[in-house]
Amino acid sequence: MPKSEKVTAPTPTVPQNAAIFAQNLNFIYNPKSGFAKHALINVDLTVCQGEFVAIVGHTGSGKTTFVQHLNALIRVQSGYLNVLGQDLSAKKPDLKLLRRQVGMVFQYPEYQLFADTVLADVCFGLKNFGIDKDERENMAREALELVGLDFAKVKDKSPFDLSGGEKRRVALAGVLAMKPKILVLDEPTAGLDPRGKSEILTLVKKLNQTEGVTVLMVSHDMNEVYENANRILVFRDGAIAFDLPPRDLFRMEEEIESMNLEVPAVAAFCNELERRGIVLPKECRTVDETLAAVVALKEARDA
Amino acid sequence: MLRDVTFGQYYPADSFVHKMDARIKLVLTLLYMVGIFFVQSFVVFGFVTVLLLAVVLVSRVPLRSVLRSVRGIVVLLVFTAILNLFFTKGADASEQPLWAWSPWNGFTIEIYVNGLKSAAKIFLRLVYLVVGSCILTLTTTPVDLTHAVESLLKPLRVVKFPVHEFALIMSLTLSFIPSLIEETDRIIRAQKARGADFDTGGLVKRAKAFVPILIPLLVGGFRRAEELANAMNSRCYEGATKRTCMRVMKLSWRDLVASLVMVIFFTGVFLLYGMSSKWGGIVWLYY
Repeated sequence: MPKSEKVTAPTPTVPQNAAIFAQNLNFIYNPKSGFAKHALINVDLTVCQGEFVAIVGHTGSGKTTFVQHLNALIRVQSGYLNVLGQDLSAKKPDLKLLRRQVGMVFQYPEYQLFADTVLADVCFGLKNFGIDKDERENMAREALELVGLDFAKVKDKSPFDLSGGEKRRVALAGVLAMKPKILVLDEPTAGLDPRGKSEILTLVKKLNQTEGVTVLMVSHDMNEVYENANRILVFRDGAIAFDLPPRDLFRMEEEIESMNLEVPAVAAFCNELERRGIVLPKECRTVDETLAAVVALKEARDA
Repeated sequence: MLRDVTFGQYYPADSFVHKMDARIKLVLTLLYMVGIFFVQSFVVFGFVTVLLLAVVLVSRVPLRSVLRSVRGIVVLLVFTAILNLFFTKGADASEQPLWAWSPWNGFTIEIYVNGLKSAAKIFLRLVYLVVGSCILTLTTTPVDLTHAVESLLKPLRVVKFPVHEFALIMSLTLSFIPSLIEETDRIIRAQKARGADFDTGGLVKRAKAFVPILIPLLVGGFRRAEELANAMNSRCYEGATKRTCMRVMKLSWRDLVASLVMVIFFTGVFLLYGMSSKWGGIVWLYY
Protein backbone atom coordinates (compact mmCIF):
# COMPACT_ATOMS: atom_id res chain seq x y z
CA MET A 1 0.00 0.00 0.00
CA PRO A 2 1.41 3.36 -0.90
CA LYS A 3 1.67 5.72 2.01
CA SER A 4 -0.56 8.73 1.71
CA GLU A 5 1.80 11.62 1.44
CA LYS A 6 1.22 15.29 1.85
CA VAL A 7 1.19 16.69 -1.62
CA THR A 8 3.66 19.52 -2.00
CA ALA A 9 4.34 21.10 -5.31
CA PRO A 10 7.94 20.47 -6.34
CA THR A 11 10.10 23.58 -6.36
CA PRO A 12 9.97 24.76 -9.95
CA THR A 13 13.19 25.24 -11.83
CA VAL A 14 13.91 28.88 -12.31
CA PRO A 15 14.96 29.69 -15.85
CA GLN A 16 18.46 31.03 -16.16
CA ASN A 17 18.77 34.75 -16.54
CA ALA A 18 15.39 35.34 -14.87
CA ALA A 19 15.23 38.31 -12.54
CA ILE A 20 11.69 37.55 -11.46
CA PHE A 21 10.01 34.20 -11.67
CA ALA A 22 6.51 33.65 -10.37
CA GLN A 23 4.43 30.53 -10.63
CA ASN A 24 0.85 30.12 -9.56
CA LEU A 25 1.05 33.13 -7.29
CA ASN A 26 -2.18 33.79 -5.40
CA PHE A 27 -3.03 36.37 -2.82
CA ILE A 28 -6.19 36.94 -0.82
CA TYR A 29 -6.76 39.95 1.41
CA ASN A 30 -8.51 39.20 4.73
CA PRO A 31 -8.79 35.51 3.88
CA LYS A 32 -10.83 34.43 6.88
CA SER A 33 -13.30 37.29 7.16
CA GLY A 34 -16.36 38.17 5.17
CA PHE A 35 -14.40 40.82 3.29
CA ALA A 36 -12.08 38.35 1.58
CA LYS A 37 -10.74 39.68 -1.68
CA HIS A 38 -8.86 37.58 -4.19
CA ALA A 39 -6.27 40.09 -5.35
CA LEU A 40 -3.98 37.82 -7.34
CA ILE A 41 -5.12 34.74 -9.21
CA ASN A 42 -2.65 32.19 -10.58
CA VAL A 43 -0.04 34.65 -11.71
CA ASP A 44 2.70 33.06 -13.82
CA LEU A 45 5.47 35.32 -14.95
CA THR A 46 9.11 35.34 -15.94
CA VAL A 47 10.94 38.61 -16.28
CA CYS A 48 14.48 38.42 -17.60
CA GLN A 49 17.30 40.60 -16.44
CA GLY A 50 17.47 43.87 -18.32
CA GLU A 51 13.84 43.96 -19.45
CA PHE A 52 11.71 47.10 -19.30
CA VAL A 53 8.24 45.88 -18.35
CA ALA A 54 5.22 48.11 -17.98
CA ILE A 55 2.28 47.06 -15.84
CA VAL A 56 -1.11 48.52 -16.62
CA GLY A 57 -4.62 47.85 -15.41
CA HIS A 58 -7.43 49.34 -13.42
CA THR A 59 -7.31 50.38 -9.81
CA GLY A 60 -7.87 47.19 -7.85
CA SER A 61 -6.69 44.92 -10.65
CA GLY A 62 -3.88 43.53 -8.51
CA LYS A 63 -0.90 45.31 -10.00
CA THR A 64 0.17 47.03 -6.79
CA THR A 65 -0.34 43.83 -4.81
CA PHE A 66 1.86 41.98 -7.26
CA VAL A 67 4.55 44.61 -7.26
CA GLN A 68 4.72 44.63 -3.47
CA HIS A 69 5.46 40.93 -3.48
CA LEU A 70 8.73 41.63 -5.24
CA ASN A 71 10.50 43.02 -2.20
CA ALA A 72 8.48 41.08 0.33
CA LEU A 73 6.39 43.99 1.57
CA ILE A 74 3.65 41.44 1.02
CA ARG A 75 4.68 37.87 1.80
CA VAL A 76 3.82 35.01 -0.50
CA GLN A 77 0.57 33.34 0.55
CA SER A 78 0.49 30.56 -1.96
CA GLY A 79 2.48 29.75 -5.05
CA TYR A 80 6.12 30.24 -5.85
CA LEU A 81 8.10 33.43 -6.28
CA ASN A 82 11.78 33.80 -6.95
CA VAL A 83 13.44 37.20 -7.18
CA LEU A 84 17.12 37.38 -8.16
CA GLY A 85 17.72 33.83 -7.03
CA GLN A 86 16.00 34.17 -3.68
CA ASP A 87 13.02 31.99 -2.96
CA LEU A 88 10.46 34.35 -1.44
CA SER A 89 8.05 31.55 -0.62
CA ALA A 90 10.63 30.40 1.93
CA LYS A 91 10.00 31.23 5.57
CA LYS A 92 12.92 33.58 6.05
CA PRO A 93 14.31 35.20 2.95
CA ASP A 94 17.18 37.65 3.43
CA LEU A 95 15.04 40.79 3.50
CA LYS A 96 17.93 43.25 3.76
CA LEU A 97 19.62 41.85 0.71
CA LEU A 98 16.34 41.63 -1.19
CA ARG A 99 15.28 45.19 -0.42
CA ARG A 100 18.66 46.50 -1.38
CA GLN A 101 18.49 44.70 -4.71
CA VAL A 102 14.89 45.58 -5.47
CA GLY A 103 14.44 49.33 -5.31
CA MET A 104 10.83 50.37 -4.97
CA VAL A 105 9.60 53.84 -5.78
CA PHE A 106 6.08 54.34 -4.52
CA GLN A 107 3.45 56.69 -5.85
CA TYR A 108 4.28 60.27 -4.90
CA PRO A 109 7.60 59.22 -3.36
CA GLU A 110 8.28 62.81 -2.27
CA TYR A 111 5.81 62.26 0.57
CA GLN A 112 8.25 59.88 2.24
CA LEU A 113 11.01 62.48 2.67
CA PHE A 114 11.73 63.20 6.31
CA ALA A 115 15.35 64.11 7.05
CA ASP A 116 16.88 67.52 7.83
CA THR A 117 18.99 67.59 4.72
CA VAL A 118 18.78 66.12 1.26
CA LEU A 119 22.02 64.24 1.86
CA ALA A 120 20.71 62.59 5.03
CA ASP A 121 17.53 61.55 3.29
CA VAL A 122 19.30 59.98 0.35
CA CYS A 123 21.62 58.22 2.79
CA PHE A 124 18.74 56.77 4.84
CA GLY A 125 18.52 53.57 2.82
CA LEU A 126 22.29 53.20 2.57
CA LYS A 127 22.60 53.59 6.34
CA ASN A 128 19.94 50.96 6.91
CA PHE A 129 21.85 48.57 4.72
CA GLY A 130 24.99 49.10 6.76
CA ILE A 131 27.20 51.03 4.37
CA ASP A 132 29.87 53.12 6.07
CA LYS A 133 29.86 56.84 6.19
CA ASP A 134 32.43 57.83 3.55
CA GLU A 135 31.06 55.36 1.08
CA ARG A 136 27.53 56.62 1.76
CA GLU A 137 28.36 60.15 0.76
CA ASN A 138 29.97 59.03 -2.46
CA MET A 139 27.00 56.88 -3.39
CA ALA A 140 24.58 59.67 -2.53
CA ARG A 141 26.53 62.10 -4.67
CA GLU A 142 26.42 59.69 -7.57
CA ALA A 143 22.67 59.15 -7.19
CA LEU A 144 21.86 62.85 -6.88
CA GLU A 145 23.94 63.65 -9.95
CA LEU A 146 22.26 60.80 -11.79
CA VAL A 147 18.83 62.34 -11.24
CA GLY A 148 20.19 65.66 -12.46
CA LEU A 149 20.61 67.61 -9.24
CA ASP A 150 23.66 69.68 -8.32
CA PHE A 151 25.10 67.80 -5.36
CA ALA A 152 26.99 70.73 -3.84
CA LYS A 153 23.94 72.96 -4.11
CA VAL A 154 21.27 70.69 -2.67
CA LYS A 155 23.02 68.41 -0.21
CA ASP A 156 22.61 70.65 2.84
CA LYS A 157 19.19 72.00 1.92
CA SER A 158 16.06 70.80 3.65
CA PRO A 159 14.16 68.50 1.29
CA PHE A 160 11.01 70.42 2.18
CA ASP A 161 12.42 73.63 0.66
CA LEU A 162 12.73 72.10 -2.81
CA SER A 163 10.20 72.31 -5.61
CA GLY A 164 7.82 69.42 -6.29
CA GLY A 165 9.85 68.03 -9.18
CA GLU A 166 13.11 68.33 -7.24
CA LYS A 167 11.58 66.59 -4.23
CA ARG A 168 10.57 63.68 -6.38
CA ARG A 169 14.06 63.45 -7.82
CA VAL A 170 15.55 63.43 -4.34
CA ALA A 171 13.21 60.61 -3.36
CA LEU A 172 14.18 58.74 -6.49
CA ALA A 173 17.85 59.28 -5.68
CA GLY A 174 17.20 57.78 -2.25
CA VAL A 175 16.24 54.55 -3.97
CA LEU A 176 18.79 54.67 -6.79
CA ALA A 177 21.65 55.26 -4.33
CA MET A 178 21.35 51.62 -3.29
CA LYS A 179 22.13 50.58 -6.86
CA PRO A 180 19.21 48.19 -7.14
CA LYS A 181 19.26 45.47 -9.77
CA ILE A 182 15.52 45.66 -10.17
CA LEU A 183 13.74 48.99 -10.11
CA VAL A 184 10.01 48.99 -9.44
CA LEU A 185 8.20 52.26 -10.07
CA ASP A 186 4.59 52.91 -9.18
CA GLU A 187 3.35 55.74 -11.38
CA PRO A 188 6.61 57.63 -11.25
CA THR A 189 5.35 60.52 -13.38
CA ALA A 190 1.97 61.14 -11.74
CA GLY A 191 1.42 64.81 -11.05
CA LEU A 192 4.48 66.08 -12.89
CA ASP A 193 4.55 68.57 -15.74
CA PRO A 194 5.45 67.23 -19.22
CA ARG A 195 9.07 68.21 -18.83
CA GLY A 196 9.39 66.60 -15.40
CA LYS A 197 7.75 63.50 -16.83
CA SER A 198 10.11 63.15 -19.73
CA GLU A 199 13.12 63.78 -17.50
CA ILE A 200 12.14 60.95 -15.16
CA LEU A 201 11.38 58.60 -18.04
CA THR A 202 14.63 59.41 -19.81
CA LEU A 203 16.50 58.65 -16.61
CA VAL A 204 14.72 55.34 -16.11
CA LYS A 205 15.32 54.34 -19.69
CA LYS A 206 18.98 55.25 -19.40
CA LEU A 207 19.36 53.10 -16.28
CA ASN A 208 17.72 50.25 -18.11
CA GLN A 209 19.84 50.55 -21.25
CA THR A 210 23.27 51.45 -19.90
CA GLU A 211 23.28 49.83 -16.47
CA GLY A 212 21.10 46.86 -17.34
CA VAL A 213 18.68 47.55 -14.51
CA THR A 214 15.50 45.51 -14.82
CA VAL A 215 12.58 47.95 -14.73
CA LEU A 216 8.98 47.32 -13.80
CA MET A 217 6.84 50.40 -14.16
CA VAL A 218 3.21 50.71 -13.17
CA SER A 219 1.53 53.41 -15.19
CA HIS A 220 -1.80 54.70 -16.38
CA ASP A 221 -0.36 56.75 -19.19
CA MET A 222 -0.47 54.50 -22.24
CA ASN A 223 1.62 56.88 -24.31
CA GLU A 224 4.53 56.71 -21.92
CA VAL A 225 4.13 52.96 -21.58
CA TYR A 226 4.12 52.56 -25.34
CA GLU A 227 7.20 54.65 -25.86
CA ASN A 228 9.35 53.10 -23.17
CA ALA A 229 8.49 49.52 -22.32
CA ASN A 230 9.61 46.45 -24.24
CA ARG A 231 6.81 44.42 -22.81
CA ILE A 232 3.44 45.21 -21.29
CA LEU A 233 1.52 43.25 -18.69
CA VAL A 234 -2.17 43.97 -18.48
CA PHE A 235 -3.72 43.06 -15.13
CA ARG A 236 -7.43 42.42 -14.96
CA ASP A 237 -9.25 41.24 -11.83
CA GLY A 238 -6.08 39.87 -10.26
CA ALA A 239 -4.86 37.93 -13.29
CA ILE A 240 -2.53 38.77 -16.13
CA ALA A 241 -4.88 39.24 -19.07
CA PHE A 242 -2.22 40.09 -21.65
CA ASP A 243 1.54 39.84 -21.76
CA LEU A 244 2.71 41.25 -25.07
CA PRO A 245 5.17 43.63 -26.73
CA PRO A 246 3.60 47.11 -27.06
CA ARG A 247 2.94 47.05 -30.76
CA ASP A 248 1.12 43.70 -30.61
CA LEU A 249 -0.92 44.67 -27.58
CA PHE A 250 -2.27 47.91 -28.98
CA ARG A 251 -3.15 46.37 -32.31
CA MET A 252 -6.12 44.82 -30.49
CA GLU A 253 -8.03 48.06 -30.25
CA GLU A 254 -11.34 46.52 -29.24
CA GLU A 255 -9.98 44.51 -26.33
CA ILE A 256 -7.99 47.48 -25.13
CA GLU A 257 -11.00 49.73 -25.15
CA SER A 258 -13.21 47.11 -23.52
CA MET A 259 -10.82 47.22 -20.58
CA ASN A 260 -11.22 50.99 -20.45
CA LEU A 261 -7.64 51.52 -21.49
CA GLU A 262 -6.59 54.02 -24.04
CA VAL A 263 -4.82 53.25 -27.30
CA PRO A 264 -1.70 55.43 -27.48
CA ALA A 265 -1.76 58.06 -30.19
CA VAL A 266 1.15 56.61 -32.13
CA ALA A 267 -0.32 53.12 -31.98
CA ALA A 268 -3.70 54.38 -33.16
CA PHE A 269 -1.98 56.11 -36.08
CA CYS A 270 -0.05 52.96 -37.02
CA ASN A 271 -3.23 50.86 -36.74
CA GLU A 272 -5.03 53.23 -39.04
CA LEU A 273 -2.20 53.03 -41.57
CA GLU A 274 -2.19 49.25 -41.35
CA ARG A 275 -5.90 49.15 -42.13
CA ARG A 276 -5.00 51.00 -45.30
CA GLY A 277 -2.28 48.53 -46.10
CA ILE A 278 0.73 50.53 -44.97
CA VAL A 279 2.84 48.65 -42.44
CA LEU A 280 5.43 50.65 -40.54
CA PRO A 281 8.34 48.89 -38.84
CA LYS A 282 7.63 47.61 -35.35
CA GLU A 283 10.18 49.87 -33.76
CA CYS A 284 8.27 53.08 -34.37
CA ARG A 285 6.98 53.97 -30.97
CA THR A 286 7.63 57.66 -30.64
CA VAL A 287 6.25 60.43 -32.80
CA ASP A 288 9.71 61.19 -34.18
CA GLU A 289 10.43 57.59 -35.09
CA THR A 290 7.07 57.23 -36.77
CA LEU A 291 7.51 60.44 -38.69
CA ALA A 292 10.92 59.32 -39.90
CA ALA A 293 9.49 55.97 -40.96
CA VAL A 294 6.64 57.58 -42.87
CA VAL A 295 9.03 59.94 -44.63
CA ALA A 296 11.37 57.07 -45.48
CA LEU A 297 8.47 55.04 -46.81
CA LYS A 298 7.29 57.92 -48.96
CA GLU A 299 10.77 58.54 -50.36
CA ALA A 300 11.14 54.85 -51.16
CA ARG A 301 7.82 54.93 -53.03
CA ASP A 302 8.64 58.09 -54.94
CA ALA A 303 11.96 56.71 -55.98
CA MET B 1 -2.64 45.85 10.49
CA LEU B 2 -3.46 49.47 11.19
CA ARG B 3 -7.06 48.96 10.19
CA ASP B 4 -7.72 47.31 13.53
CA VAL B 5 -7.48 50.71 15.17
CA THR B 6 -10.75 51.81 13.72
CA PHE B 7 -13.04 49.99 16.09
CA GLY B 8 -16.48 51.42 16.63
CA GLN B 9 -16.82 52.39 13.00
CA TYR B 10 -20.31 52.77 11.63
CA TYR B 11 -21.94 49.41 10.95
CA PRO B 12 -24.59 49.86 8.29
CA ALA B 13 -27.88 48.14 9.07
CA ASP B 14 -31.57 48.87 9.03
CA SER B 15 -32.71 48.75 12.61
CA PHE B 16 -34.68 50.49 15.31
CA VAL B 17 -31.52 51.99 16.78
CA HIS B 18 -30.10 53.04 13.42
CA LYS B 19 -33.29 54.88 12.58
CA MET B 20 -33.42 56.79 15.83
CA ASP B 21 -32.67 60.49 15.90
CA ALA B 22 -28.95 61.01 16.46
CA ARG B 23 -29.61 63.73 19.02
CA ILE B 24 -31.71 61.44 21.17
CA LYS B 25 -29.14 58.67 20.84
CA LEU B 26 -26.41 61.03 21.94
CA VAL B 27 -28.37 62.31 24.94
CA LEU B 28 -29.41 58.81 25.98
CA THR B 29 -25.83 57.61 25.69
CA LEU B 30 -24.73 60.45 27.96
CA LEU B 31 -27.49 59.53 30.42
CA TYR B 32 -26.29 55.93 30.30
CA MET B 33 -22.68 56.90 30.88
CA VAL B 34 -23.56 58.98 33.90
CA GLY B 35 -25.96 56.33 35.11
CA ILE B 36 -23.30 53.61 35.05
CA PHE B 37 -21.44 55.43 37.82
CA PHE B 38 -24.48 55.20 40.08
CA VAL B 39 -24.73 51.44 39.77
CA GLN B 40 -23.56 49.97 43.06
CA SER B 41 -24.36 46.28 43.19
CA PHE B 42 -23.73 43.27 41.03
CA VAL B 43 -27.46 42.64 40.82
CA VAL B 44 -28.02 46.03 39.23
CA PHE B 45 -25.06 45.41 36.94
CA GLY B 46 -27.00 42.33 35.89
CA PHE B 47 -29.96 44.51 34.93
CA VAL B 48 -27.66 46.80 32.94
CA THR B 49 -26.27 43.76 31.14
CA VAL B 50 -29.77 42.74 30.12
CA LEU B 51 -30.50 46.26 28.93
CA LEU B 52 -27.27 46.42 26.91
CA LEU B 53 -27.87 43.03 25.34
CA ALA B 54 -31.39 44.07 24.43
CA VAL B 55 -30.11 47.24 22.75
CA VAL B 56 -27.46 45.29 20.82
CA LEU B 57 -30.10 42.81 19.72
CA VAL B 58 -32.43 45.56 18.54
CA SER B 59 -29.58 47.37 16.76
CA ARG B 60 -28.76 44.27 14.68
CA VAL B 61 -25.04 44.87 15.12
CA PRO B 62 -23.20 41.58 15.67
CA LEU B 63 -22.22 41.21 19.32
CA ARG B 64 -18.70 40.45 18.18
CA SER B 65 -18.11 43.88 16.67
CA VAL B 66 -19.52 45.49 19.81
CA LEU B 67 -17.18 43.53 22.04
CA ARG B 68 -14.24 44.21 19.77
CA SER B 69 -14.31 47.78 21.03
CA VAL B 70 -13.10 46.56 24.42
CA ARG B 71 -9.84 45.42 22.87
CA GLY B 72 -8.57 48.98 22.70
CA ILE B 73 -8.72 49.49 26.46
CA VAL B 74 -7.42 46.14 27.66
CA VAL B 75 -4.29 47.70 29.17
CA LEU B 76 -6.30 50.34 30.99
CA LEU B 77 -8.72 47.69 32.26
CA VAL B 78 -6.01 45.44 33.63
CA PHE B 79 -4.16 48.36 35.19
CA THR B 80 -7.13 49.84 37.04
CA ALA B 81 -8.39 46.44 38.13
CA ILE B 82 -5.00 45.56 39.62
CA LEU B 83 -4.71 48.89 41.42
CA ASN B 84 -8.15 48.43 42.93
CA LEU B 85 -7.41 44.87 43.86
CA PHE B 86 -4.31 45.69 45.89
CA PHE B 87 -5.09 49.11 47.30
CA THR B 88 -8.57 48.58 48.69
CA LYS B 89 -8.48 47.90 52.40
CA GLY B 90 -10.97 45.89 54.43
CA ALA B 91 -14.11 47.41 55.90
CA ASP B 92 -12.47 47.70 59.33
CA ALA B 93 -9.05 47.05 60.77
CA SER B 94 -10.08 43.74 62.29
CA GLU B 95 -10.86 42.15 58.92
CA GLN B 96 -8.36 39.50 57.85
CA PRO B 97 -7.06 39.72 54.27
CA LEU B 98 -7.93 36.89 51.91
CA TRP B 99 -4.34 36.67 50.85
CA ALA B 100 -1.16 38.38 51.95
CA TRP B 101 2.44 38.31 50.93
CA SER B 102 5.36 40.11 52.48
CA PRO B 103 8.43 40.11 50.27
CA TRP B 104 10.42 42.14 52.83
CA ASN B 105 9.89 43.68 56.22
CA GLY B 106 7.42 46.52 56.47
CA PHE B 107 5.93 45.91 53.06
CA THR B 108 2.99 43.62 52.52
CA ILE B 109 0.67 43.04 49.65
CA GLU B 110 -2.81 42.19 50.83
CA ILE B 111 -6.02 41.35 49.08
CA TYR B 112 -9.36 41.90 50.82
CA VAL B 113 -12.84 40.86 49.81
CA ASN B 114 -13.64 44.51 49.20
CA GLY B 115 -10.67 44.80 46.88
CA LEU B 116 -11.92 41.93 44.78
CA LYS B 117 -15.36 43.49 44.63
CA SER B 118 -14.21 46.95 43.72
CA ALA B 119 -11.81 45.61 41.10
CA ALA B 120 -14.64 43.65 39.51
CA LYS B 121 -16.93 46.68 39.61
CA ILE B 122 -14.46 49.12 38.09
CA PHE B 123 -13.77 46.54 35.41
CA LEU B 124 -17.45 46.15 34.59
CA ARG B 125 -18.02 49.89 34.68
CA LEU B 126 -15.25 50.63 32.19
CA VAL B 127 -16.29 47.83 29.87
CA TYR B 128 -19.92 48.96 29.93
CA LEU B 129 -18.88 52.55 29.37
CA VAL B 130 -16.94 51.68 26.24
CA VAL B 131 -19.50 49.20 24.94
CA GLY B 132 -22.33 51.70 25.45
CA SER B 133 -20.59 54.54 23.64
CA CYS B 134 -19.57 52.12 20.94
CA ILE B 135 -23.19 51.24 20.23
CA LEU B 136 -23.71 54.94 19.49
CA THR B 137 -20.89 55.16 16.97
CA LEU B 138 -21.71 51.77 15.46
CA THR B 139 -25.28 52.81 14.70
CA THR B 140 -24.76 56.48 13.83
CA THR B 141 -22.84 57.86 10.87
CA PRO B 142 -20.21 60.47 11.73
CA VAL B 143 -22.18 63.01 9.72
CA ASP B 144 -25.33 62.45 11.75
CA LEU B 145 -23.32 62.58 14.92
CA THR B 146 -21.85 65.95 14.05
CA HIS B 147 -25.26 67.29 13.14
CA ALA B 148 -26.51 66.07 16.48
CA VAL B 149 -23.69 67.79 18.34
CA GLU B 150 -24.28 70.98 16.42
CA SER B 151 -27.98 70.89 17.10
CA LEU B 152 -27.54 70.15 20.79
CA LEU B 153 -24.96 72.88 21.26
CA LYS B 154 -27.09 75.51 19.54
CA PRO B 155 -28.16 77.18 22.79
CA LEU B 156 -24.52 78.06 23.41
CA ARG B 157 -24.69 80.51 20.53
CA VAL B 158 -26.18 82.94 23.00
CA VAL B 159 -22.77 83.20 24.65
CA LYS B 160 -21.06 83.52 21.25
CA PHE B 161 -19.76 79.97 21.18
CA PRO B 162 -18.90 79.08 17.55
CA VAL B 163 -21.16 76.03 17.42
CA HIS B 164 -21.06 75.47 13.69
CA GLU B 165 -17.29 75.79 13.49
CA PHE B 166 -16.94 73.38 16.37
CA ALA B 167 -19.11 70.81 14.61
CA LEU B 168 -17.16 71.36 11.41
CA ILE B 169 -13.85 70.72 13.16
CA MET B 170 -15.33 67.56 14.60
CA SER B 171 -16.55 66.21 11.29
CA LEU B 172 -13.29 67.08 9.53
CA THR B 173 -11.32 65.28 12.22
CA LEU B 174 -13.48 62.21 11.83
CA SER B 175 -13.27 62.20 8.08
CA PHE B 176 -9.48 62.55 8.11
CA ILE B 177 -8.91 59.48 10.26
CA PRO B 178 -9.24 56.84 7.50
CA SER B 179 -7.04 58.74 5.08
CA LEU B 180 -4.40 59.31 7.74
CA ILE B 181 -4.36 55.61 8.51
CA GLU B 182 -3.97 54.83 4.84
CA GLU B 183 -1.16 57.35 4.53
CA THR B 184 0.63 55.92 7.57
CA ASP B 185 0.42 52.50 6.03
CA ARG B 186 1.91 53.78 2.82
CA ILE B 187 4.76 55.62 4.49
CA ILE B 188 5.62 52.57 6.57
CA ARG B 189 5.84 50.48 3.44
CA ALA B 190 7.92 53.08 1.62
CA GLN B 191 10.45 53.31 4.48
CA LYS B 192 10.55 49.53 4.82
CA ALA B 193 11.41 49.34 1.14
CA ARG B 194 14.40 51.56 1.96
CA GLY B 195 15.50 49.05 4.56
CA ALA B 196 13.94 50.66 7.64
CA ASP B 197 13.57 48.19 10.47
CA PHE B 198 10.81 48.72 13.03
CA ASP B 199 10.84 45.35 14.73
CA THR B 200 14.29 44.86 16.22
CA GLY B 201 16.59 46.70 18.60
CA GLY B 202 16.16 48.32 21.98
CA LEU B 203 13.57 50.83 23.07
CA VAL B 204 15.55 53.88 21.99
CA LYS B 205 16.37 52.40 18.61
CA ARG B 206 12.75 51.52 18.00
CA ALA B 207 11.55 54.94 19.08
CA LYS B 208 14.04 56.52 16.70
CA ALA B 209 12.83 54.26 13.92
CA PHE B 210 9.49 56.08 14.06
CA VAL B 211 10.94 59.45 13.09
CA PRO B 212 10.90 58.58 9.36
CA ILE B 213 7.19 57.80 9.70
CA LEU B 214 6.05 60.63 11.93
CA ILE B 215 7.67 63.48 10.04
CA PRO B 216 6.20 62.66 6.63
CA LEU B 217 2.88 62.05 8.36
CA LEU B 218 2.91 65.47 10.03
CA VAL B 219 4.03 67.19 6.86
CA GLY B 220 1.27 65.38 4.99
CA GLY B 221 -1.27 66.40 7.61
CA PHE B 222 -0.41 70.06 7.21
CA ARG B 223 -0.46 69.71 3.44
CA ARG B 224 -3.92 68.18 3.48
CA ALA B 225 -5.22 70.79 5.90
CA GLU B 226 -3.94 73.57 3.71
CA GLU B 227 -5.36 72.02 0.56
CA LEU B 228 -8.73 71.63 2.24
CA ALA B 229 -8.66 75.20 3.51
CA ASN B 230 -7.89 76.43 0.00
CA ALA B 231 -10.66 74.30 -1.47
CA MET B 232 -13.14 75.70 1.04
CA ASN B 233 -11.99 79.27 0.52
CA SER B 234 -12.20 79.00 -3.23
CA ARG B 235 -15.80 77.82 -2.88
CA CYS B 236 -16.56 80.82 -0.69
CA TYR B 237 -17.32 78.67 2.32
CA GLU B 238 -18.65 80.78 5.10
CA GLY B 239 -19.40 79.11 8.40
CA ALA B 240 -22.83 79.31 9.85
CA THR B 241 -24.37 82.06 7.78
CA LYS B 242 -27.79 80.92 6.62
CA ARG B 243 -26.88 77.35 5.88
CA THR B 244 -29.57 74.73 5.66
CA CYS B 245 -29.20 71.02 6.19
CA MET B 246 -29.75 68.43 3.50
CA ARG B 247 -31.07 65.99 6.02
CA VAL B 248 -33.43 67.51 8.54
CA MET B 249 -33.56 65.57 11.77
CA LYS B 250 -37.01 64.63 12.97
CA LEU B 251 -38.17 62.94 16.12
CA SER B 252 -40.32 59.83 15.76
CA TRP B 253 -42.13 57.31 17.95
CA ARG B 254 -38.91 55.33 18.21
CA ASP B 255 -37.21 58.15 20.02
CA LEU B 256 -40.10 58.41 22.43
CA VAL B 257 -40.08 54.68 23.19
CA ALA B 258 -36.32 54.53 23.63
CA SER B 259 -36.27 57.63 25.79
CA LEU B 260 -39.03 56.26 28.03
CA VAL B 261 -37.24 52.95 28.52
CA MET B 262 -33.92 54.58 29.30
CA VAL B 263 -35.34 57.27 31.56
CA ILE B 264 -37.38 54.78 33.57
CA PHE B 265 -34.42 52.43 33.90
CA PHE B 266 -32.00 55.06 35.09
CA THR B 267 -34.55 56.75 37.35
CA GLY B 268 -34.60 53.39 39.08
CA VAL B 269 -30.83 53.33 39.28
CA PHE B 270 -30.66 56.88 40.68
CA LEU B 271 -33.45 56.17 43.19
CA LEU B 272 -31.67 53.07 44.44
CA TYR B 273 -28.51 55.09 44.87
CA GLY B 274 -30.28 57.91 46.71
CA MET B 275 -32.20 55.60 48.99
CA SER B 276 -29.25 53.44 49.96
CA SER B 277 -29.14 54.90 53.48
CA LYS B 278 -32.85 54.25 54.09
CA TRP B 279 -33.06 50.82 52.52
CA GLY B 280 -29.75 49.66 53.86
CA GLY B 281 -31.43 46.45 54.94
CA ILE B 282 -31.81 45.12 51.41
CA VAL B 283 -28.15 44.33 51.14
CA TRP B 284 -28.12 42.70 47.69
CA LEU B 285 -29.14 45.93 46.05
CA TYR B 286 -26.11 47.76 47.28
CA TYR B 287 -23.08 45.48 47.54
